[in-house]
Amino acid sequence: MRLTGAELIESREILAGTWLQSWHAPAIVSGARAGQYVHIRTTEAGGLPLRRPYPIATADPASGTLTIQVGGGTAAAGAWARSLRPGDRADIAGPLGRPFEVDTRSRHLLLVAEGPAIAALRLLIDEAVRDARSVVLLYGAATASQVYPTSLLPDEVEYVVATADGSLGHRGSIADVVTEYEGWADQSFASGPTRLLGAVARLAAGRRGRLGVATLGRKRGGGRPIAPGSPEARRKSFLQVAVEQTVACAAGTCQACAIMGSSGATQRACREGPVFAANELDWGPE
Amino acid sequence: MKPKRRAVPGISTKRQPTVRRIKPAIRPVSRAPSIVPAAASRAPAQVEPALDAIGGRPVSMEVDLGGGLVLANPVIVASGPFGYGVDVAGLVDIERLGAIVTRGTSLKPRGGHPAPRMAEVPAGLLLGVGLQNPGLEQVLERYATAWARWPVPVILNLCGESTSELAEGARRLEGVPGIAGVELNLSCPNGPRGNAFGLDPQTAANAVSAVRRACDLPLIAKLTAAAADVRAIARACEEAGADAISAINTLPGLAVAADRRGPALGSGYGGVCGPALRPIALRVVYEVAQAVSVPVIGIGGIATLDDVLDMLAVGAVAVGIGVAALADPMLPVRLADELADACRARGLADVAGLVGTAQPAKPSPSSSRGAEYAR
Repeated sequence: MRLTGAELIESREILAGTWLQSWHAPAIVSGARAGQYVHIRTTEAGGLPLRRPYPIATADPASGTLTIQVGGGTAAAGAWARSLRPGDRADIAGPLGRPFEVDTRSRHLLLVAEGPAIAALRLLIDEAVRDARSVVLLYGAATASQVYPTSLLPDEVEYVVATADGSLGHRGSIADVVTEYEGWADQSFASGPTRLLGAVARLAAGRRGRLGVATLGRKRGGGRPIAPGSPEARRKSFLQVAVEQTVACAAGTCQACAIMGSSGATQRACREGPVFAANELDWGPE
Repeated sequence: MKPKRRAVPGISTKRQPTVRRIKPAIRPVSRAPSIVPAAASRAPAQVEPALDAIGGRPVSMEVDLGGGLVLANPVIVASGPFGYGVDVAGLVDIERLGAIVTRGTSLKPRGGHPAPRMAEVPAGLLLGVGLQNPGLEQVLERYATAWARWPVPVILNLCGESTSELAEGARRLEGVPGIAGVELNLSCPNGPRGNAFGLDPQTAANAVSAVRRACDLPLIAKLTAAAADVRAIARACEEAGADAISAINTLPGLAVAADRRGPALGSGYGGVCGPALRPIALRVVYEVAQAVSVPVIGIGGIATLDDVLDMLAVGAVAVGIGVAALADPMLPVRLADELADACRARGLADVAGLVGTAQPAKPSPSSSRGAEYAR
């Protein structure tokens, strides 16, 4: 983790109340991986006395710029984003947290996102396209005006949209579309509200049964145990999720971002997360 | 003939560059600052022209919290932001802090509340962590050896659901190297009625005296501002044997979930902390400092030097930094430095000169009469 003063290069309002900010922060960009986040000291009059966490949406090591997507959350964060001008500086810490792990053998990646949480998957899309993997992005939003613009996505991505009111694409939750692609996908990645992640995680848990996948081979799916929370545990998992959780300290001390893990112990989104193998978390009753 | 210069191994014959000694802004703990002879105290001042220019004498930043607990400076990290301190020890010069208070620790492990545990509120946040901790035994086993090596005193924040649990916890702490004191969390619920200890003078006194009997460590009672009359609670704690009072803890609050179908936090209620708490903390410290003769530690929304000076002015001898240290872990150390500079700028030889300057000449009426009628 590095703490650095970054300079705002550009801020664009990509959706109503959502800004895509480009920051010049070479020290952070150089080691950043998909799924990791930065912790920014925002300057809000009478606002949050904390840093705000934002997933690294894109990172360009050549120019030392990273983009984050601000807004979609509280009014205070929106007011801060609106007030920023190119040249303004902010105190940024990062890259923080554990990244997504893509298995080198995975050719087909299924990405599921809802609302502003797409930012957590954005860098993963860039990396997958660079590595010539096929990407299907399933995106859910409340209405057509809140759908992530296609112009911000690489052409190689197959983009499927669902809106709650049916104004664009499928009508209903994006989780309903997942089953159409689960047979195609080698690995799946999701980001969004806990409700969506829980639905996708339950689908992933029952996937092998539905598809009739047999556990073949000498090890019969057994083999040596994988340490929970390790990069390998994520890489071997069909579904990895990036949780949306407000992070207070990002140092693992305050326990404010703790969520329940499947082992019965709490997991800190700031340190053990924000990316988890889906089976590492307790998704509760449906 | 000029003597030949001989090279001595290991000793350079070149002139050594002059090393300017830079004195840390905070003096290391010296037990008796007042008996330093005048000549000796002038000597370092000559080395530091910068300090001399603003009329700087060495400033005594020491604070005596009673019970033998002397802090090198009045800036404490309050319970919570630094956890058990070990995670931030590599990041922050912890030895330049007055003290570190650990996160709330109970005798038995506590799993904490379900997520979400945090919500934004105006000028602050609402926390409902639920005192998650691995239990006192585990905490001592994992961290006490590290604490014993640190020059900074570590004060353990003790909580429990009954007076006997608190006493048992305190007994366990007695004689453990690395524990410099106990801060008793009086906001914990108590027994079948489930009220916090700190809401009633008698219950508070029972808890404090039980812990007092159980250990000889310096004992700080942490008040909650939720009590109707904080002066009565503070007096009860003092009489029951508390060496110091810290005020205040978070205040119970509520935030509504985005879909308005219930509270935002998994725990329902949460504790309000951050700058939103500052005027309340100032009021409580103002009142409590008048009511008791033991030292008072002011906690609540402190984020800048002005906040520290305000808190000292209303009667706190030391300040605890809470939420502000989450956003900026370096802040407490920086505030300690700035406070020392503020003393020098005012020509004060002792930080105690800043304490209580805003206290009233004659005792002010209690705020329990209602703010509009208090005069």
